[in-house]
Amino acid sequence: MCGNRFGKKRRPEENAERMSYADFRLETVVETIPNPLRRIVRFAFEWIPIAIVAGLWELASGTAVSSEILPPPSAVFAVSWELLVSGRILPHLQVSLYRIGVGLGLSIVVGVALGVGMARVKPIENFFEVFLALIYPVPKAALVPLAILWLGVGTETAILIVFLACLLPIVLNSYNAAQNVDRNLLWSARMMGMPAWKLPIKVVVPATIPSILTGIRQAIPIAFIALVSAELIASNRGVGFEILRHGQIGNYTSMFAVLVVISGTAFVAVRGYEWLERRVVTWT
Amino acid sequence: MDVTRTVGLDRNDAIAAAKSIYSLVLLLLLWEFVAQYDMVHSYFLPPLSDVLATFYELTADGTMLEHAYLTFRRAMAGLLLACLLGIVVGVLAARNRIVGWFWDPIIEVGYPVPVIALVPVFMFWFGTGDLPKIMLVAVGCFWPVAINARNATREVDENLVWSARMMGTSDRRLLRRVVVPAAAPGIISGVQIALPIALIVTFVFEMVAGGGGLGHLEIQGVRSFESAQVYASLIAIMIVGFTLDRGLRYLRGRLLAWT
Repeated sequence: MCGNRFGKKRRPEENAERMSYADFRLETVVETIPNPLRRIVRFAFEWIPIAIVAGLWELASGTAVSSEILPPPSAVFAVSWELLVSGRILPHLQVSLYRIGVGLGLSIVVGVALGVGMARVKPIENFFEVFLALIYPVPKAALVPLAILWLGVGTETAILIVFLACLLPIVLNSYNAAQNVDRNLLWSARMMGMPAWKLPIKVVVPATIPSILTGIRQAIPIAFIALVSAELIASNRGVGFEILRHGQIGNYTSMFAVLVVISGTAFVAVRGYEWLERRVVTWT
Repeated sequence: MDVTRTVGLDRNDAIAAAKSIYSLVLLLLLWEFVAQYDMVHSYFLPPLSDVLATFYELTADGTMLEHAYLTFRRAMAGLLLACLLGIVVGVLAARNRIVGWFWDPIIEVGYPVPVIALVPVFMFWFGTGDLPKIMLVAVGCFWPVAINARNATREVDENLVWSARMMGTSDRRLLRRVVVPAAAPGIISGVQIALPIALIVTFVFEMVAGGGGLGHLEIQGVRSFESAQVYASLIAIMIVGFTLDRGLRYLRGRLLAWT
């Protein structure tokens, strides 16, 4: 089962090229193809497994399993497309993105301030550390009922949950980075006459930006999980609610279609952020 | 020997401990005060003493333990299933070209799906009992476990593998005795990432679908306007989360004692 990899003698230099699993044998074939086509061929080869899974699913639906229970992917994607084009999902998507945006935005502002403050000022750390330690092991989705008590069913509850869920990764990343700021930077700034109260904004925060961005990247998928949890339990709008509603009225193809839309949005959000990060943070 | 030291109460330690929890004590006192004098409606914030009394009542008559056990069973069964599958797939995807070719794009597509959105789907497929919850926990935890196992296995020092092969280790033994132990720290990190996901999925599923468990107990408190029950269940949830987190860390320390 693992023979094809272990059974062959491998030279060290061969090992260096091994970075991408399938390239090896493929590369010799790809060499013979004109340049613009190469990327397409490699891409297609990499995505064949997805096609296999989708094909099996398409076959199984309607034969092995009722198409009610497992709608075929072709139908699901057709409905997703239709939902997007006809704009029926857009109001819900808009509400959900608004909730994510506000919640994540708040958690970035509060999280960076808290993280940097805790790292640089001992009393602040003493005050907040115990709360963070208490919140840390609680799955934030379990706070939804509490949020319903305070804020009722709707947008505020979802925003609060997204905010709380995203807060910890951002605080932890900025805390660690702010604690490890290169002392030479601080000393140089002091020596050149910068007053102490300007240090956090002028030196510490810029030096921690790469870590803060990492924290935000970790927070984006968490934000989507928190959002959908809150919308499933306590909402009457938004994509999470749409999934539940379609499920309850027995419209399963639409239910899967909304799921595809959410997953696509989450995927685009993560990838888009990574692309933006590479573009914007060019000095690191 | 100093008496205070035997009970672990050095004076400096005590001061440090007091400094680190004084804010919590202040907040709890404020909570009790504000709620006792009805400055906030007791529906939003029942007095702390009421919450603790409810917690004690529910624990004493066994309700809390029963629900906590249901939650614990679902989360752990799902996580265990995910670990078995995820570690096998992850390790093989890194060591075997064909398995890697097949699973890499699937992991790429599957990982970002917010698994929690599958709750209505699984409710519809498997009903509202234990099975759908365990299955969904397994699906949600599979991805982080598999990705971390794959990445950790890819980074195993090839010199270890070559040395073992040179000394005549067979393929299967190589996997079990060399590759998996060398990748163990990364694999366990994956399990640690998966633990909160297991708990989130279990709680949300219990809140949406019912069928017992701490999540159900908590949302029931909201629906019957018994806010003390909501807070009491949250205390239990905190305890469960904390225990599992510490348990996994302890296990990590034990398993990786040789590193």
